[in-house]
Amino acid sequence: MTLSLRDSAHLVSDPEKLSLSVLEVFGTMLGVECEPVESCASQPPVGAAESVTAVVGFGGILSGACVITCDDMSARHIASRMTGMAFEALDDVVKDAIGEICNMVAGAWKSRVPDLAANCGLSVPAVITGRDYNLHMQSPEFRVVRVYRFDAANFQVAIVCDELL
Amino acid sequence: MREIQALIVDDSSVMRKIVERSLRQAGLESLVVVEAGSGVEGLETLKAKRVDLILSDINMPAMDGLEFVRQLRNQQLAEGVPVVMITTESSEEHVNQAIEAGAMGYIRKPFTADQVKQKILSLLPKA
Repeated sequence: MTLSLRDSAHLVSDPEKLSLSVLEVFGTMLGVECEPVESCASQPPVGAAESVTAVVGFGGILSGACVITCDDMSARHIASRMTGMAFEALDDVVKDAIGEICNMVAGAWKSRVPDLAANCGLSVPAVITGRDYNLHMQSPEFRVVRVYRFDAANFQVAIVCDELL
Repeated sequence: MREIQALIVDDSSVMRKIVERSLRQAGLESLVVVEAGSGVEGLETLKAKRVDLILSDINMPAMDGLEFVRQLRNQQLAEGVPVVMITTESSEEHVNQAIEAGAMGYIRKPFTADQVKQKILSLLPKA
């Protein structure tokens, strides 16, 4: 019998699974408690200021991506909490840190759906930086988007599913 | 305490530093860390250097961590040296793949320093 996630689509698209994953990763690796920012959920923290977007692709029984986006200051703050170092600029270490955070959130998220854990692979992280860019993903099957904050850092996390087998 | 030479293989420099910090927090004060940014680099390091412990990511470009462990075991580059995989992949299937490849331990990211300590101390020979 071919494995299908269709019957458990409601589990995969449950926003609570994303929040639990984000809280787990930031709590364990940064020692901070994030909180969801409901009022900003439809407003990505990107605009004229420099921003960072990390993408980890999903392949297998689910294809899509985990995407984390934040502004320059938040990226440096996240990297600083993660490494114990101070960052004056959005350098390679900061990009590496945001990519790894995205990787861990993607892994933690998929481990919360039993069939997904073993049948969905992760790509290595890709990190984009710049101003006024747009990450376009064509007609996803579903998208779960949430904004979180801790201290003065805000970041958006999205799970975008292109196809669910 | 005797000196412990540890090889940390991860394409992320940030994760290499975090793993090193966790090892030091585990009480391995006499620790010498050798870093490799890929499986290929890790194999080259092992051809030139004897280590006591290897910690490797799985999801890496070019040569993933599973292939790295298979090759180091096939080439007998680290006979009897414990290899611990540190990865976001946590299914039973992934753990089994790592064990079959030759790993002796598995730590899921995100991890705490205490989890690293428990795993490492259970694998290192008692002084």
